[in-house]
Amino acid sequence: MMDLTQPQWVKHVVFHPFEGFEDLRWKKGGTLKYTAIIIFALFIALIAYDRWCGFQFRPLPDAHFSVVPYIMKSVVYFGAWVLGNWSICTLLDGEGTMKNICVYSSYALIPYIVSTFINVVLSHILVRDEQVFFSTVYYIGLLWSALLLFNAIKSVHQYSFTKTVAAILLTLFAMLVILFLAVLFLSLFQKVYVFFYSLYTEILYRVRV
Amino acid sequence: MKKHTPRLLRQVLAAGLSAALLLPVLAQSVSADEPYDVYNYNYLGEAVPSQAGYLAERAVSGLDLGTTALNAPSDLFKDSDDYFYIVDSGNNRILKVDPDFTEVVKVYDSFTMPDGSSSPLKNPKGIYISPDTGLMYIADNENARALVSDKDGNVKMEITKPESTVYDQQLTFLPQKILCDNAGNIYIVLGNTTKGAAMFNADGEFIGYYGANAVAKTASVIANHFWNAIASDTERSFRARSTPTAFDNFDIDSVKGFIYTSTSSGSTDTDIVKKVNPEGYNLFDYMSNFVWGDLFSTWYSGTSYKTKIVDIDIGDDGSINCLDATTGRVFQYDKEADLLFIMGANGDQVGSFMTGSVAAVETRGAGCENVYVLDAGKGTVTVFAQTVFGDIVHDATRLYNGGYYEEALGPWLEVLKRDGNYRRAYLGIASAYYNMGRYKDSMVYAKKADASGRYNKAFERYRSQWLKAHLTQLLIGIVLIIAGVWLLKRIVKKRRANAVAAAAVPDTAASEE
Repeated sequence: MMDLTQPQWVKHVVFHPFEGFEDLRWKKGGTLKYTAIIIFALFIALIAYDRWCGFQFRPLPDAHFSVVPYIMKSVVYFGAWVLGNWSICTLLDGEGTMKNICVYSSYALIPYIVSTFINVVLSHILVRDEQVFFSTVYYIGLLWSALLLFNAIKSVHQYSFTKTVAAILLTLFAMLVILFLAVLFLSLFQKVYVFFYSLYTEILYRVRV
Repeated sequence: MKKHTPRLLRQVLAAGLSAALLLPVLAQSVSADEPYDVYNYNYLGEAVPSQAGYLAERAVSGLDLGTTALNAPSDLFKDSDDYFYIVDSGNNRILKVDPDFTEVVKVYDSFTMPDGSSSPLKNPKGIYISPDTGLMYIADNENARALVSDKDGNVKMEITKPESTVYDQQLTFLPQKILCDNAGNIYIVLGNTTKGAAMFNADGEFIGYYGANAVAKTASVIANHFWNAIASDTERSFRARSTPTAFDNFDIDSVKGFIYTSTSSGSTDTDIVKKVNPEGYNLFDYMSNFVWGDLFSTWYSGTSYKTKIVDIDIGDDGSINCLDATTGRVFQYDKEADLLFIMGANGDQVGSFMTGSVAAVETRGAGCENVYVLDAGKGTVTVFAQTVFGDIVHDATRLYNGGYYEEALGPWLEVLKRDGNYRRAYLGIASAYYNMGRYKDSMVYAKKADASGRYNKAFERYRSQWLKAHLTQLLIGIVLIIAGVWLLKRIVKKRRANAVAAAAVPDTAASEE
C-alpha cells in the first residue's frame, strides 16, 4: 500500500488535504530537495505576480524593482516560520523534526504558488471588469494552502485541532520575535562593522603620518 | 602590414564614432540658452528633463518703456484689445502699455470724480478691465476704495467700506485685487478676511462674500472640532476657532465666467488653486490631492522650499498659468489642470527673477503665444515667447481637450520627436489610436505612458477583435486539444493494463519480493 514515488507524494498530499500528511508521515515520504524547489518557485511566483502580469493588472511601475523584498517574502518568511514552529512545538510536545516541518510546510504552499502562476497567465487574457475570476483563483489557492498548512502542522506534531490552532498562533508570534531580533542584530552588526571600519581607517591614517 | 590595416580602420572608425557621439552634446550646449534647466514631471512625480515651451525674449523696465523706473509694481493686466496695464504701486500710477510692450501709451495717476474734482491714486494694487463695457476697475489700496472708471479717467463709481451688518465694521477696507464678472458684479480681495472676496453688485452695493477657501481637514482641526462639540458655551468662546486660509489673488475666465483663485499661504496644502462657479462652489474640489506647482514641496514640506502661488492667469485658450514666488517659476497647465510647461527661475539673467519678488503673470494670444511675468523687485516685465515645441504642444492639447483625438495624433507624434519624455504625448497617441480602432498600437503607447487604465480599455477592444477574427481556429484548437488528451489517456491506460497483465501472468518471483 501507498508505495509512491516522491512526485506522487507531492500530488497525493496536495489533493488529499485531510489524510495526505498523515500518510506522508506514516510512510516517511517527502524530501528536502522538493522543499528547495518549492521555495524557489514561491520566490519566482511572487516576482512573476508583480512583474509579468498583464499590464492592465500590474500594480507596480517598472522603474523601481528590488529583489530584496521578494527574498524576504519567500525565503526569510519561510525560514522564520519553520524555526518559530520548531521552537514552539518542541516545548509543546510536538513530534515533528525540523526537517519534517520544513518539508510538510513547503508542500502545503503548492496551491498558492500554482494559483499565482495561473493568475499571471489569466491576467494576460482578462480585463479589469473580469477581475472576479482573478480573485477567485487567488482565494481558492490561498484557502487551499491554509488548509494544507493547518493539516501539515497537525499531523507533523500529532496534535489535536485546538492545540494546532494554538501552536499556529504562537508560531506567528514567534516569527515576529525572530524577525524583530534579526533586524536588531543586523543593525547592531552594522554598527559594529562601522566601528571597526573607522578604527581601521584611523589606524591607516596614523600609520601613514 | 596586413595586421595594421584593420587597426587603422578601427582607429578611423573610433574617431568618427566619438565625433558622432559628441555632436549632439555640442548642439545641445548651443541651443540651451535659457538660464535654467527645463523640466517636467513624469507619472511618478519625478522631475525629468524636457524641451522648453517658452523662451525668455527680453526683460522690459520702466526706462525701456519711456518712463521712470517702476517702483514695486504689483499687478499686470491685459485688456481685450491687447493693451497692457502695469499697476506701479510705489509711484502711485497705472501705466498703459502698447501690445508690443515697447512704450507707455497713457499714464493714469489721478482720476476725475463725478463731482468734477480730481483724485490721485495712492498705492494702487490691482486692476481689471471689463471686456464687455471697457470700464476700468481699480483697487486703490491706501485710499481705501475701489474705482470704476472709463478709459479717459472719468470715475463712474467709487466703492468704499460697506455699511452692512455682514461686513465686520472693525475691519478696514483695503482692496488688493479686483475683478468683475459678465453680470457686472464686482469682486474685491481684501487680504484681511478669510471669508472670501467681498462681492458687490453692478450698482456698488455690498452683497456678501464669495468663494472662501475650505478649512483643511488636518488632524488638529478635527481634534479641535471634537473638543468644541463637547465643550460648554463659555468654554467654547475661549477656544481657538478653525479658520481657512484666505486666497489672495484671482482671475476670471471671461468666456466661461469661472473665477480662479490662488492661495499663497505656506501653511496650507489644500485649495491652493480653485475654480469657482457663480454659485461659489469649487469645481476643482475633486482634485484635493493634486499638487499645484513643484511636487517636491510636498515631499520635503516643512523646509523653506514650498510652492507659493502668488498670481494666476487664465489664458485665452483656457490655460491656467500659476506664478510661484518661491522659485520664480510659471507653471502652465491646460484647462484640465494637466501640466504643460514650467519656465523661469530665481536669478539675475533674462528669464529669471529676484527671489520672492515676482508679482503677476499675464498671457497673450489665442494660443498663449506670450507669457509676461512682472518682477516687483527688479521693476521689470519679462516677456516669454512660445517656442516651436510649445506651439506644437499647445496645438495638440487644444485638439485633444476638444475631443479631436485623431486630429491631435500628428502634433503628438511631432511632440515625441522633439521630447521623448513628454508623457502626455504618449497618452494622446494612445487615445488617438484607440479612437481610430488601432488597438494594438494604442496598447503600446498606453504602456509607454504607464497608463494601465487606458491600456485596459484598448486591450479589451483588442481582445474582442482578436476573438472575432480567430474564433474558428480557437474552437478547432480547443476541440483538438481535448481529443488529444482523451486519446493520450486511453493509450496510456491500455499500455499500463497490458504491462500489468504481462507482469502478473508469468512471474511469481516478483510477488515474493
